[in-house]
Amino acid sequence: MITTIARKEFAEIVRDGRFRWTAALVVLLLVTALLAGWQRYAAYSAVQAAAQGATNEQWLKQGDKNPHTAAHYGNYAFKPLGPLAFFDSGITSYAGTAVFMEAHKQNFAIGRPANDTSSIARFGELNGAMILQVLLPLLIVFLGFTAFAAERESGTLRQVLSTGVSRGSLLWGKALGLGAAVAVVVVPCLLVGGAVIAAAGLETAEEGMAARTALVALAYLLYAATFLFLTLAVSAWARNARAALMVMVGFWAFTAFIMPKAAGELAKAAHPSPAFGTFMAEMKAHQRRGIDGVSPFAKLGRYQGQLFRQYKVSRVEDLPLYWTAVRMQKLEEIDQPVFDLHYGKVRDTYLAQRRLQDRIGVVAPTLPLRSISMGLAGTDLVQQSRFMADAEAFRHDMVFKMNDYLSKAAVDLNGVNSASRFMIANEEVFAIVPPFRYEPPAFADVLAEQVPNFALLGAWLAAAVGLAVLATRRMDLEAR
Amino acid sequence: MLEAIDLRKVYGGHEALQGLNLRVEAGDIYCLLGANGAGKTTTINLFLNFIAPTSGSARVNGVDVAQNALETKRWLAYIPEQVMLYGNLSGLENLEYFARLGGHDHYTRADYEGFLDRVGLQRDAAGRRVRTYSKGMRQKVGVAIALAKQAKALLLDEPTSGLDPKASNEFSELLVQLKGGGAAILMATHDLFRAKETGTRIGIMKGGRLVQELSTDEVSHADVERIYLEHMH
Repeated sequence: MITTIARKEFAEIVRDGRFRWTAALVVLLLVTALLAGWQRYAAYSAVQAAAQGATNEQWLKQGDKNPHTAAHYGNYAFKPLGPLAFFDSGITSYAGTAVFMEAHKQNFAIGRPANDTSSIARFGELNGAMILQVLLPLLIVFLGFTAFAAERESGTLRQVLSTGVSRGSLLWGKALGLGAAVAVVVVPCLLVGGAVIAAAGLETAEEGMAARTALVALAYLLYAATFLFLTLAVSAWARNARAALMVMVGFWAFTAFIMPKAAGELAKAAHPSPAFGTFMAEMKAHQRRGIDGVSPFAKLGRYQGQLFRQYKVSRVEDLPLYWTAVRMQKLEEIDQPVFDLHYGKVRDTYLAQRRLQDRIGVVAPTLPLRSISMGLAGTDLVQQSRFMADAEAFRHDMVFKMNDYLSKAAVDLNGVNSASRFMIANEEVFAIVPPFRYEPPAFADVLAEQVPNFALLGAWLAAAVGLAVLATRRMDLEAR
Repeated sequence: MLEAIDLRKVYGGHEALQGLNLRVEAGDIYCLLGANGAGKTTTINLFLNFIAPTSGSARVNGVDVAQNALETKRWLAYIPEQVMLYGNLSGLENLEYFARLGGHDHYTRADYEGFLDRVGLQRDAAGRRVRTYSKGMRQKVGVAIALAKQAKALLLDEPTSGLDPKASNEFSELLVQLKGGGAAILMATHDLFRAKETGTRIGIMKGGRLVQELSTDEVSHADVERIYLEHMH
């Protein structure tokens, strides 16, 4: 019975003029978006690999110099993208993809493609995720708003219900038929997209690519089904097809356009992120003041006293370590907690903003979907923070290794003026710093972060189905 | 087959049906006559459970409609003033769809074509989209749906209004065939001539009441018209 109804719905939808132009439009945009995403991804990955290689090479071949100066010369970390980033580029364009790692300073990421584009980019990049988040629900609304309303207006609803078919069967049949019509448009495009990634045979440090892809697909399926049942519910409940269309387009605009922007503003108001200038000024002041109110120079003095007692000496010249290097490393360690505190606060603020936005998903299902999509594609804030943390750990290690080498290798320079000129290291020494490698977070951690969002989407679908069942049960047979 | 027992329907303060008692047996064509608003369509809607009775009971095959709506609809076929079909599907596809909804999914294509032949729909028309059909053709598909459903009872709501005399005549002949097959037919109509010609019994309704019942074989055309007009004054 349900398949009979589904087949008839499908035939009717596909024969309608609406289907041809909306399907053509969606296919065109989706294919364009996937190709554009792929092209952007391929170009980015090539540049990223080349740049990381070049910067590693530059580090080694920077020329013989004092190791601490080498740490100043520094190194770059470039964030690699996982294969799913071609489908959802997430915050990549805004968050920065490269970090300069140098002695004494922790830096923000640079390399934000969005900075180099016109304001049109603020509408979001054309990528597959955006099309599915924004246009897929619109396709469902356009193909589905007449489902019950037009049958009521034309009188076929009476005719159909006179046969003794149950309203429940009618609802499930229509849902299946509409779902099939939407799938006919969208699924082939996605299969082509999937085939492109598979054919490219990418290597990635991310684990569980198959599971990630399946979960992303599940999230979009939940989202699409939510819109499908909401559309059927409103079609059954609305005064007429026009009203059903108005209500659903209104809801679509609310969840897919207004809320993603509004939730961002709301989250910013609730958890204000500092301005760049203020942030830097506060951190520098805190650095001078010392994390615990004891100034770095007082700490250095104490440390020197400690070392003198430890080695039972009273002059820098008698220390078995090169004091200038030891001092610089100690300064690094004194500053580290200040950096960690301030950068950590910014990161926590952004994460709090993100979580609040996810919770606003209670009124707009596009929000949790967006988070799941970028989270699993590896292009969200959590992975950006992970990249920044990796870069910071690398920076710390690089500076430590250079200072440590210097402190041991240049003991005889203690007390010599402008000693840095005399201690020259070469490529062999620089090679004790391994090339930068980004370790993406474990799949289980990525997934754990998204569990509440999956729960939200599940709740949306359950509510939509409930509404549809209720609306069809109570639906009027006559146009009002 | 069709039975109304003290059937009442009140809308707001308006009593659309005031205690209707009526029986239509297998092989009967019972024609309901009356002005617009007399309660004819309300009666049919109650048999289809499209509306709930205020009190009393509508029964099909002895089963109460309000309590067993889906079961009683298995025995019913409904042909309104305008049979509503899906414009983007062909006549054949519409017939198949409605037959399947009615629980008959065992027919072959030849069976469906047979039904359409019996109601006199041209073969070439059967494959065309219904959007292009005349009203008469739609009504024929409606009868084919009733045939395919093997309905024990038919509810017809002014099915011939707006049909040209030839189409109207063809439709009436189909009803006589269905009657011969043992169906109970309840038809609301304004056509006194057809009521006398094809009906077996006539009920005249006024203001929600059944005011008189006649057997068509006991009265002439002139009598039907005279009695009807007397009631309308």
